[in-house]
Amino acid sequence: MDKNDLKVMIFLAYKNLTKSKITFMVIVAVMAMSFLSITFFASIIDGLGYEFEEGMIRGQTGHLMIEPQEDELYISNSKDLIKDIRRIPGVVGVARRMDASAVARHKNIEIGNPVLFIEPENEKDVSDYWNSVLVGEYLSQRGTDELIIGADLVESYAEEDDTQKRFNVDVGDKITLSFSNGFVKEYKIKGIYKTGSRFVDDKIIINFDQYQTIFGSTDDRASSIVIALPSRGLEESYTRDLIDLGVSEQINKWQTKMGAVNQFVGSLQITNQITGTIGLLTAFATIYIIIFINVTNKRKQIGILKAVGIKKEIILGSYVLQSLAYGITGVLIGNLAMQLLLLLLSIHPLSMPIGPVVPILTNERLLTTSATLILASIVAGFFPSRKAADENILDAIFGG
Amino acid sequence: MERTIIRTENLERVYISGVVKTYALVDISIEIKEGEFVAIMGKSGSGKSTLLHQLGLLDKPTKGSLNIDGHDVINISEKERTRFRLNELGYVFQSYNLIPELTAIENVYITPMARNMKKEEYESMAEEVLTAVGLEDRMHHYPSELSGGQQQRVSIARALVNKPKILFADEPTANLDSASSEDVINLFRKFNQEIGQTIVMVTHELEEGEKADRIIWVKDGLLDPEKL
Repeated sequence: MDKNDLKVMIFLAYKNLTKSKITFMVIVAVMAMSFLSITFFASIIDGLGYEFEEGMIRGQTGHLMIEPQEDELYISNSKDLIKDIRRIPGVVGVARRMDASAVARHKNIEIGNPVLFIEPENEKDVSDYWNSVLVGEYLSQRGTDELIIGADLVESYAEEDDTQKRFNVDVGDKITLSFSNGFVKEYKIKGIYKTGSRFVDDKIIINFDQYQTIFGSTDDRASSIVIALPSRGLEESYTRDLIDLGVSEQINKWQTKMGAVNQFVGSLQITNQITGTIGLLTAFATIYIIIFINVTNKRKQIGILKAVGIKKEIILGSYVLQSLAYGITGVLIGNLAMQLLLLLLSIHPLSMPIGPVVPILTNERLLTTSATLILASIVAGFFPSRKAADENILDAIFGG
Repeated sequence: MERTIIRTENLERVYISGVVKTYALVDISIEIKEGEFVAIMGKSGSGKSTLLHQLGLLDKPTKGSLNIDGHDVINISEKERTRFRLNELGYVFQSYNLIPELTAIENVYITPMARNMKKEEYESMAEEVLTAVGLEDRMHHYPSELSGGQQQRVSIARALVNKPKILFADEPTANLDSASSEDVINLFRKFNQEIGQTIVMVTHELEEGEKADRIIWVKDGLLDPEKL
C-alpha cells in the first residue's frame, strides 16, 4: 500500500461519512450510549465502595490506627505519643480514644451499647462526627455530663419498617449509662449525629475525660490513637515514620481494620468487573451488528469500486477508517457526556442510604472501555467489508 | 483494418449448482479489432451479458483463452486483473452504478485519483470528459440530483476518463427513455469516430445494434450459427 492508496482510502471514507450523516449520527449515538452505560454503572459502584471505605476511615479507623499489643489492654503514655506523632511532617490530625460498653436507659427502654470516649477538638481532625450532627450540638471540650448519640439509636430516624429497639429521645433528654464497674451516671443528649455509615452511627459518644472519672484510670491511657493523613496511599511511608519514632504498639492501616467492609467492597468490585465485562461484550456485539448491517448495505458500492479497478485494500481500508471514525467519535462524545455527568454528580451527589455517593471513574476503566469500543468498531468494520471486498464482483453488484 | 484488440478461443462459462451444470457460454471464439464499435445481441438469457462480463474481466471463464491487447488475461493474478481494469478498461452498466456518496465529478475522477495522478490533473481530466458528455453544469451534483440520462452520461464519463483501450457497455439504454437512449448511442458513436474508441456494447435493441460497426449474435450461449 502506498501513500496514494491511503489518500484514496481517506477520500472515500470521508465522503461516505459526510454524505451519510444520519447513519453516522445513529452509530455514534449507539457508541456513546454504550460507553455511558458501561462507565456510569461502574463508576457508581466504585463511588459506593469508596464511600463505604471513606465512612470507615472518617468514622472509625482514620488512615492509621495505633492499638495496644495483643497482650496489653491499653496504650500507655498516649499523651506524649500523640504530641510526638503530631510533629511528623504532613500528619493532618491525631486523636486518642477509649472504648467501653454500657447499658443505656431512657424511660423504660434499655439497650446495651458501645460507648466511645473522645477528645472533642482533636477528634475533629480525624473524623466526621463533629460535622455530622443533625440536631443539637457537638461535644464541648470540657462538658462532663453530655453525650452525642448516633441516629441509628434514635426512634425518629428509623426506617418505617425497622422494628429494632431504639430510644424515643430528642436533644435535651437524658440517658442513664450503667458501666460494668457499677458506675451509673445521667448524661444529657447534646446532639444527634449521622455520618451515613451504619458502622459508626450506633454509638454513644462522650468526653475522653469521663473515662478517668468512670474507671479511675490515669489520663495517659488510650484504647486507640487515630491518625489522619493528607490522603490515601501514604500509609506505608507514615508507618515507617511511626516506627522510627519508636512506636512499639500495633500500627494498623485502614485496610486491615475494614473487616466486613473490606469483604463487602471486594464483592462490589468483583460484581463491577463481571457486569463491566458483560456490558463491554454487549456493547461489542451491538456495535458489531450495527456496523455490519451498514457495511452489508454498501455491498453494491464495494462491487462497483472493484469493477472500476479500485484496489481491494483501498476499499477495505476506507470502511475500516469509517468504523474507526464511528468508534473514536462515539467514545469522545460518550466521554464528554460522562465527564458532564460526573461534574453534575459531584455538585449534587446521589443520595443513597449510606450517604451521598459521588461516582468515581478510574483512568483504568476509562481507557479499557474506550479501547474496547474502538476495537469493536474496527473489527465490526473489518470483517464484513473484507467479506464484501472478497466477493465476486458480479455477485456484489447484482446481489447474487 | 487495425490490429486485434480482443481475441477469445473456445471460451466457456459454466455455472455449477450442486450437481446441475448450466452452460452460459460455450465455445465462443471471436476477434474484435482496435477502434471497432461492436454490438453483442441476442434474446434474453442468450448469454450476451455473460460474454461481456468475461471480456471485461468482471468474471472468469471456466475454459478457453482470452487475450486483450496482446495480454493473456486469464492466467493473471487478481491484483493484475484489478490493475488491468483500472488502466485499460472502462465500464458502463445498465443501472448506471454510480457511487451515491460522490458527486458527478468525484465519481469520474475516483479512478484517475487511484492511478496516482495529481489533483489538478485528474480534476481537469474529469471536467473535460464531463463537458464532452454535456454535463459541464452538473459536475458538482450528486447522482440523486440527476436524471437517469444524466447519470448514464456520468457513467460514460467515468468509463472514458482514463482513455481506456476498450469501453464495455452492458445494456446502457435499458433504463432510459428513447431520447436519452439516442443521446447515449450518439455519444458512443461520437467517441468511436472522433478518438477511435473501441466499444463493446450489449443491447437488445436492433436499432441501436445497427449503429455499431458489427453485431455479434449470441444464442443459447453459442455464437448464432445463422448470423455468423
